[in-house]
Amino acid sequence: MQPDLTSYLLVGAVLFVCGVVCMATKRNGIGVLMGVELVLNGANVNFVAFSKYTALGLDGQVFSLFVIVLAAAEAAVALAIALNFYNNHLTIDVDRANKLKG
Amino acid sequence: MVGETLKFWLMIAWLLPLAGFAVEIFFGFYSKNPRGSKAAAWMAVACIGIGFLCSANALRIWGNANEWCVLESHDTHGEHAEGEDGHGEEAHEHKAADENSHDEHAVSATDHDAEKTGQTAYSGEIYRLATFGSLTIAMDYYIDSLTLVMFTMVTFIATCIHLFAIGYMSDELVDDYVDHFAHTADGKHVHRPGRFYRFFAFLSLFCFAMLGLVLAGNIFQVFIFWELVGICSFLLIGFYTERKSASNAANKAFIMNRIGDFGFLIGLMVLWTFFGTFRFGDTAQDNVVTEQGLFSMVHRDAESHDFMTDADGEVLITDPSGHVLKDEAGKARTIPYFLLVIAGLGVFAGCVGKSAQFPLQTWLPDAMEGPTPVSALVHSATMVAAGVYLAGRFFPMFAHEVLLTIAYTGCITLFIAATIAVVATDIKKVLAYSTISQLGYMMLGIGVFGWAAGLFHLITHAFFKSLMFLCSGSVIHGCHHEQEMPKMGGLLKKMPITALTMLIGVFAISGFPMLFGLHFSGFHSKDAIVASALAFVIANPIHYLLFVIPLLTAGITAFYMFRLWFFTFWGAPRDQHVHDHAHESPWIMAAPLVILAVPAWLCAYGGESGFLYGMLTGDEPAHLATGVTAAGKIVLPSHHEIHQVHGDAGVLALLAAFSGALIAYILYGTTLVNVEAMKKQMSIVHGFLTNKWHFDDLYDALFMRPAHKVAAFCAWIDKTIFDTILHGLAKAMIVIANWDRMFDEKFVDGFVNLVGDATQSVGSSLKVVQTGKLRQYVMFIVLGVVALFAVVFSTFPG
Amino acid sequence: MNDTFLLSAIIFLPAVGALLLSALDSKAVDAIRMFSLGITIATFALTLMLWSKFDYEATGIQMHVAYEWIPTWNIFYRLGFDGISLPLIILTSFVSMLACVASWSINKLHKGYFILFLLLETGMLGVFLSLDFFLFFVFWEVMLLPMYFLIGVWGGPRKEYAAIKFFLYTLAGGVLMLIAMLMLYFASGGTTESFNLIELAKAASGAADAKLTSTLSGSMQVTAFVLLFIGFAIKLPAFPVHTWLPDAHVEAPTPISMILAGVLLKLGGYGIIRIAFPLCPYGAAQAAYFVVAIGVISLIYGAFAALAQTDFKRMVAYSSVSHMGYVLIGLGVWKIVDSATINANMWLMGINGAMFQMVAHGVSSAGMFFMVGVIYDRVHHRDLNKFGGLMGRMPLYSGLAAGLFFAGLGLPGLCGFIGEIFVVLSAWNYSPMLAIVSASGVILTAGYILWALQRVYLGAEYTGPHSEDITPINAREATVGGILLAFAIFLGVYPAVVFNVMKKSTSELVTSMQAGYAKAEGTVTAGDEAAAGETQEEAAVLSEPKNDDIPPAQVQQQEAVDSLDSQLVRFDQAVP
Repeated sequence: MQPDLTSYLLVGAVLFVCGVVCMATKRNGIGVLMGVELVLNGANVNFVAFSKYTALGLDGQVFSLFVIVLAAAEAAVALAIALNFYNNHLTIDVDRANKLKG
Repeated sequence: MVGETLKFWLMIAWLLPLAGFAVEIFFGFYSKNPRGSKAAAWMAVACIGIGFLCSANALRIWGNANEWCVLESHDTHGEHAEGEDGHGEEAHEHKAADENSHDEHAVSATDHDAEKTGQTAYSGEIYRLATFGSLTIAMDYYIDSLTLVMFTMVTFIATCIHLFAIGYMSDELVDDYVDHFAHTADGKHVHRPGRFYRFFAFLSLFCFAMLGLVLAGNIFQVFIFWELVGICSFLLIGFYTERKSASNAANKAFIMNRIGDFGFLIGLMVLWTFFGTFRFGDTAQDNVVTEQGLFSMVHRDAESHDFMTDADGEVLITDPSGHVLKDEAGKARTIPYFLLVIAGLGVFAGCVGKSAQFPLQTWLPDAMEGPTPVSALVHSATMVAAGVYLAGRFFPMFAHEVLLTIAYTGCITLFIAATIAVVATDIKKVLAYSTISQLGYMMLGIGVFGWAAGLFHLITHAFFKSLMFLCSGSVIHGCHHEQEMPKMGGLLKKMPITALTMLIGVFAISGFPMLFGLHFSGFHSKDAIVASALAFVIANPIHYLLFVIPLLTAGITAFYMFRLWFFTFWGAPRDQHVHDHAHESPWIMAAPLVILAVPAWLCAYGGESGFLYGMLTGDEPAHLATGVTAAGKIVLPSHHEIHQVHGDAGVLALLAAFSGALIAYILYGTTLVNVEAMKKQMSIVHGFLTNKWHFDDLYDALFMRPAHKVAAFCAWIDKTIFDTILHGLAKAMIVIANWDRMFDEKFVDGFVNLVGDATQSVGSSLKVVQTGKLRQYVMFIVLGVVALFAVVFSTFPG
Repeated sequence: MNDTFLLSAIIFLPAVGALLLSALDSKAVDAIRMFSLGITIATFALTLMLWSKFDYEATGIQMHVAYEWIPTWNIFYRLGFDGISLPLIILTSFVSMLACVASWSINKLHKGYFILFLLLETGMLGVFLSLDFFLFFVFWEVMLLPMYFLIGVWGGPRKEYAAIKFFLYTLAGGVLMLIAMLMLYFASGGTTESFNLIELAKAASGAADAKLTSTLSGSMQVTAFVLLFIGFAIKLPAFPVHTWLPDAHVEAPTPISMILAGVLLKLGGYGIIRIAFPLCPYGAAQAAYFVVAIGVISLIYGAFAALAQTDFKRMVAYSSVSHMGYVLIGLGVWKIVDSATINANMWLMGINGAMFQMVAHGVSSAGMFFMVGVIYDRVHHRDLNKFGGLMGRMPLYSGLAAGLFFAGLGLPGLCGFIGEIFVVLSAWNYSPMLAIVSASGVILTAGYILWALQRVYLGAEYTGPHSEDITPINAREATVGGILLAFAIFLGVYPAVVFNVMKKSTSELVTSMQAGYAKAEGTVTAGDEAAAGETQEEAAVLSEPKNDDIPPAQVQQQEAVDSLDSQLVRFDQAVP
């Protein structure tokens, strides 16, 4: 059975939802980051699938490469923030990081 | 060129005192020892003395040029006093009036043919002040016999008075002069440095101004020097600046004169507007009149000798030969008769102020605050006589109404002043009122067509009145500045020279006939005036007061003058202290008295056939000889008519004078009558007279106070009305500005603030969303994305 | 030295001086004073040089120079002078020089004071020399600001009030002038509109060589004249817009009072004679009685007000109001009967007298204010009733003061007399009534001046405060007073020196104004007739070029036909 577009989209959606749930539920900063990675990768799956099944062509794959690079960069920054945060607060509980509250 | 020569000498006489003034005031101020030096005085004496010599020389030159023909004519005149007019006279008085034969030759006012026609008046320009199109105003000179006589008289008297003043003012030659009449707030006498040099500087300045007035060749120039003598008089009256009374008197003198000058100015305006010139005489070059003067612009009719008029009664303005001038439009130039009268009255108003005539007479008695030499020079002999001089000088332009006004003004003045003199006790005040009264006589003389008589009296009076003032100065000096006659008496033995010279003056002013066969000057001149008045009254009986009052006043004059003399020099001393310290004055003061006594007695030697009268009348206006008989107007008597009554008038005047002198002798020379008791009996009259007829109070109430009220009112208007309006405007502006501000703040700013506030409140209400909880944000993001999806898919279903 | 450079140097030398002055150390007071004095003396020397180049026989403007400034509006940097402005130019630099010497008594902020002082001189000289209305206006306003600060900073107790009053009054006058200026500008036709004062005057008089044509109607001329007149009357000052003057004088420091009385007031008279008269001859003729009456009222009113003052300086200030009344009288005595000028020489005399009065008053009033300042510097009060006896304490000062006050009194032989008497003499021809009233001024003037002299200088002793500070006048003060008195005497004895300078220019003014009046009179009568009858004629008269082929009536008809045609065309189109 040749998987069709819907299957890919389903996988992407599951990954996305997993990521979202992970972001929403985890209080650990690293966990949240992981959720973000999941969401991004869900999107990547979609991009690649669209590039294969629609007229999007190579663009979708290039896009997904960009997203991966971006995710790496984002992870680097976020991890640095997390480290700093930990240094300052001895925790990476995101609920404690409410200094930006309005 | 006789005119040029005369001008040269008189200019020297005129300008020397000015140079003297400049030198005296500067060197006096900057010299090392200004207080102790008499240099300034001698300088002043030198200036005016040389001036006298120059004037006398000019007089001689004038006489030689005219071969003294004027005098000869008058000699014949005198001999034929009862007969017809001297024949020679007519020839010399270059009568422009007889135009029927001399129409073309009337332009004879040139130096060129002076010898031929006996032309004796010279005029010309010194320098030009301004030119406006065809109008010019210049400094001119006008020299005729009257000018020369005045020059000689003024310089002679001034020289004597300068000499006298060296002695009189010598107590100013100190560094610490004590003024006993000025007090400081703590009641002490004022101490000040002496001001000897300043006095002489002012005297010199005055001489300059006075001589300039006489020399003036146009009426504008007369006005200039008129004011200048006024200011010199101001400076000299107020010489003792520390005395309030002196500065008050000075101000009063000047302002009273200015009131007269106001009239003078109106006269000038009329003359200027209608005649376009101020010159007296014609200026001619090579027999052609280059600049026409006023006198030849009004022509007199051949028959009536009144002004030539056109059909409407307007006076025609003519060229020197009697042809009517045309204006630009080709119409005959005329001046309305009433304006000619106004011009005459205006000029006369100036004379009234200067000569202290009614109603402006009140300043002269106050002017006695000045040092006595000033009173002698300025306020008796020269400046006050300038009014009479001008009236005489300007005589050809006077209409009938003006002459009548002059006559009545003189008549009223002479009476009022004489009555006040009767009760005055200050020796100088008596003389001051006497001066006013005598000036009244002169005016009367001119007003009743006795032109020569008035000017004759001017000269004689100048001599004897300056003499008497100097005598009074000598008395005051001798009695250590005591001026009240009731404290004097019996001074004859103490100061004989003064007393005797004074007596000569008293005889002269009273019009007494003779002593040692020589007539007193006043006898001739007063007779002449009374005779003119009598002739005038005979011609116009309705104006009989013009003869009665002067005659009566001749008696009063003799009375108060003898009263003065008896009071001062006769009888027993009334104040022993004064009497003990009295002494005869030093020679420098006594000598001028003696010198002056000679002309005071004898200057009119020969009467109307004498030298002085002849000189004076050498250039008298032509219509005097014939009289004026215009229809419907008063008749002005001719020379002939005056001569006819001369004898009668003389007798009457003599009688009046003798009776006045006799009464004075009885009252003051003997002890027959108790004068004090008389004074009490007539206290109302006496009070009225001592208060000077209440003129000062009247003027104070009529003019001074209202003027100050108006002034205060003007200042009040300025402060209250204008500034209030202005401040009101300013306040209104502020109110408007406040409204503007309110609008700005409430509306414009309000709207802007509203927007800001709204934004802020929205923001703050939204801020609760910002919880800072990451997981919550994620939820929002997710919800947002889902919502976005929902919106996108629902909007674009296809 | 070429013309442009000389004229510009006269105007801008003080300004350059002010610029250089700002580089000096503000503590070097003596250097600042001497430098400013040097500048004013140099300016005075330049104006004398101007005089030496003056051609007595020439009519019209001399040394006329013009450079484009703002071409868009045809504004030029246009300078020049004639017999009317020359005496005032010299007066300005002369009084400024003496005021500079008098400024030694200024005792604070010396540098700022002298900078403003020099700027003020630039403004004044600029007004007298500029011949472009716009330039004139600019200088007029330039002058205002330094004056404001000079009064407002260095003045007496109520200096702010006085300064603002002065400023607002003059500004109000300036605004009226601005309106009139624009009226005249837009009414000047020909090739283009212009601010050129000479050409505007020529246009108004209808001179043969006029390059511009004026389309100003008679009634508009009257309006323009009244606007200009009010503007200048404020500066003069004339009743009833004079109330800024006493306050300004009382509060201003002595040298500024000298400038104010000596020069600034003359700007009003100069403005009338240079701008209001030649540019609106018809308006001037119509308003002549008004002008003379204002003059007479100012004269009498000022004299009375002076009589009532107790402040010495205020009294002198009111005497200025009184004396400037003569200027208005002299200028306005233009008698016209049946459209013909009667006795134009009298009017010429009046104008000359008025001009002389301005010069004379510049000398005498500057002197009077200086004399008041001298005593004020010593005793620090000006209450007339608290003086007395100064003649004994300060003889030289009292002598000089008496001389200068006599000059103000109009004593013959001193400068005040000539102007006053000539004006008064010329007035009878115009109106005997007004002449008599103005002649009565001599009594009042004598009254207030002699009374003041008596209270200040005469009397037994000085009774006021600071008696111990009365010291004799020093050499500097004596020099200023002496120079002023010497000039007062010189002008009074030999007035021809001024009259000779003015002669040609004033008679030219009189002639051209008569021509201008005749021209406007022609227009107005035609207009009146037209108003009564056919309107077309009015249009024909007003439109200058007579060679128009189509009369206006035909033009109107043509237009009517055209519009009918177009309607027809549209109708045609509507019908298929």
